[in-house]
Amino acid sequence: MHNSAVLRPITNLFGKVSGFANRNPTRMAIILGLGLYAFTVFQVPGAFSVQAISTLFMMTLLLSFASAGQTMVLIGGGMDFTVGAVMSVAAMITTSIMRGEDGRFLQAFAVCMLLGAAVGFINGVCTTKVGLPALVVTLAIGNVVTRMSYLVTAGTPVGRVGPAFASSVIYRHFGFIPSLALYALILFPLVFYILYRSRFGRQLYLVGNNPEAARLCGINVNKIKTISYMISGMLSAFTGMLGVGMLQASRNQMFDAYAYQSLIAVVVGGTSFAGGVGTYGGTIAGSMVMVMLNNMLTALNLSQRVREITLGLVLVLILVMYNRRKGVRQ
Amino acid sequence: MFETKEMGKRFDAVVALNGASLKAYPGEIRALLGSNGSGKSTMIKILAGVYGPDSGEISVDGKVVSIGSGTASRQHGIATAFQELSLIPTMSVLDNLMLGSEPKGKFGMVDRAEARQKVQALLDRFGIDCDMDAYIQTLMPSTQTMLEVAKAVSQKPRLLLLDEVTAPLYHDEIQVLFRIVRELKADGVSIIYVTHRMSEIFELCDQVTIMRSGETVKEASTNEIDLDEIVFHMTGQYPEAHAEKEVAGDSGEPTGREVLLDVRNLAIFPSVWDVNMKAYKGEIIGIAGLQGQGQPEFIRSLLGAAQITGGSVQFDGKKLDFKSPVDAVNGGVGFVSGDRKREAVFPVRSISENISAGKIASGQLGAYMTGKFIKEFSSGAVEKYNIKIGRLENPASSLSGGNQQKLVIARWIAMNPTLLLLDDPTKGVDVHSRREIHKILQECAAGGMTVIISSSEYEELFGIADRIYVFFEGRVSDMLAGARKTDELLVAAMMGMTGQNKDGEAM
Repeated sequence: MHNSAVLRPITNLFGKVSGFANRNPTRMAIILGLGLYAFTVFQVPGAFSVQAISTLFMMTLLLSFASAGQTMVLIGGGMDFTVGAVMSVAAMITTSIMRGEDGRFLQAFAVCMLLGAAVGFINGVCTTKVGLPALVVTLAIGNVVTRMSYLVTAGTPVGRVGPAFASSVIYRHFGFIPSLALYALILFPLVFYILYRSRFGRQLYLVGNNPEAARLCGINVNKIKTISYMISGMLSAFTGMLGVGMLQASRNQMFDAYAYQSLIAVVVGGTSFAGGVGTYGGTIAGSMVMVMLNNMLTALNLSQRVREITLGLVLVLILVMYNRRKGVRQ
Repeated sequence: MFETKEMGKRFDAVVALNGASLKAYPGEIRALLGSNGSGKSTMIKILAGVYGPDSGEISVDGKVVSIGSGTASRQHGIATAFQELSLIPTMSVLDNLMLGSEPKGKFGMVDRAEARQKVQALLDRFGIDCDMDAYIQTLMPSTQTMLEVAKAVSQKPRLLLLDEVTAPLYHDEIQVLFRIVRELKADGVSIIYVTHRMSEIFELCDQVTIMRSGETVKEASTNEIDLDEIVFHMTGQYPEAHAEKEVAGDSGEPTGREVLLDVRNLAIFPSVWDVNMKAYKGEIIGIAGLQGQGQPEFIRSLLGAAQITGGSVQFDGKKLDFKSPVDAVNGGVGFVSGDRKREAVFPVRSISENISAGKIASGQLGAYMTGKFIKEFSSGAVEKYNIKIGRLENPASSLSGGNQQKLVIARWIAMNPTLLLLDDPTKGVDVHSRREIHKILQECAAGGMTVIISSSEYEELFGIADRIYVFFEGRVSDMLAGARKTDELLVAAMMGMTGQNKDGEAM
């Protein structure tokens, strides 16, 4: 294929774009996201409105919350496929505990955090102590969590979120700034602190880059990895609460797609599958790319199947582009 | 007969064989000797079909042949028992021994009954007491080695290559092995026997071929050569006579200093049997020995990264009880590995993070730790020890091997540990960087730090160590200090030729 005179300019261009993407993943993601939006607006002018942008902003925030823990897990050399399942179950717990009353928010919050931490702990123990691949472990555990939720809810989740909690998520200040952004004011600094300003974050990067060297340096590798899964579980659970606050009622597996979406958002944001490299800023930009992509496919009014096929193909392309960098561990 | 001539083999820049030759006549046991890196393992692997030579020719019965694969090697009647074993750990004894030579029954199916019979006969002949359905990985190392030899012998070779097979064996197993090797010899098989145990050569072998730096330097009959001459050809040095050694009884232990580390009868199954060592504050202790005599395990046990199975270690007046490197680092121990890529460097992280890794490793997880702090900490370390390395924000992979090693040493020195362990830290490091590393270590020792450094190059230890412990087969074969720090004594001790181990006795 590389010998073909017709294809060479295309492969050259691909190589250049890919090189840029690997050097400046955050900038590349922003360009990509805005490009997708511009294309959507060009095709469907109705997609450009204050309301639409506000919604896209909200979706981006929600995905970036869901991807925060995923970023940490990937930096530490793992992978978390329970994000979606935990979000869905947290959503069901929230509605069934709150039952439309805001006074029960703290109860719901406490139960969700416990659930997230517990799932994360199991993920951590299974990947570190048992030594199974993270992909397999977290997929399986995510499945268990989902099935258990069916068992508990008998297939039909009940209740609603409290009205004040709902409006703390969906109210639009000045008509367009989603109230969800206020949560970002707490969550973003928290994640940035954990990743860049705490000893835990420093250790996480070293563990992800070379676990054996980290261990011989005196870092408790298993503990660090397990904590990263626990943080991911708790952040997923909280994002599930916010998500259901947006939609108000829950149903089974409502956020399952977030497992893949968060993973792709993190990778597009420049975090390496090989571990040890990545930024949360990149993940936020990557979340925007995912949201813009979904938005485009919806706005173009394609049939569900065509949308899913297109989404799959685009994701493969993006992953190929971002994984041209050689693995860190030879 | 089998013969190799003018063999050449390089691995990148390293010349492993440089015109070496080897002959093997029927009905003869030939010892193939040489120190680490002399090329004897490469020679064995070429005959076994593991590597192809870059130049030279191999002939069988006068006909030039090429051995391009393990299968080709077997077809020429060559069987090999490898030091690192070729058994498959997750398969049973039965399947391993029959692998590739399964007896065929009806319709080309494996005849299990006949296979069991054959394997049982083989196990009986070798006196191996094990269940033939047991998985290899569940067996003792010595049993595994015996099976490796049995597998090679079962191929009814014309040339049998035995690569350091006696090292993990017990005394009675060695006797069985010797008996079988002699039987094969009587049957007209050629045997090439690689060993570090000098006593075995004279007990078993008829001929010796000695290699040094990829060349064959001496061939002789064991009747006409003695130990001193063998050592001379292996190392280029004559070992000192035994009598002189007894006179010099200098323990070299410093007076008026506190003992930091007191190791007694330390055992780490299966590589360290009995190690005694004392290290004083501010001392540099060298650890010498051929490859794989238990040095890495010993060092790792002090770090809590290898399990101690016997004996005791007192560290700073208390019983050493590190369950993991986390405890060791908190207890004031630092560790510099020579295996930079695997065990020391974080290649994609910045130089400053790499230097600060020890600081990052110990303390409260939630603690505030900015990039600025890390930068200042690392630049402080760089200035203090005058370690010239690239820009602090560049990734560690941008540095050369020597500089990466300085980086790792800087990491630990900046932590100011009471005990610094170094496992072959200057492997693959250029002379200039090596000198700088030595200077840094000497400064640290002068400041009261105890340094234990293992090295595969003994010139290095003479330059830097106050006392040198020489390891041989999991034991300290000699301790050299003061006037006894001579090439001759070191070489002799590395070969296990000292009072306690002269007889090359295995457990």
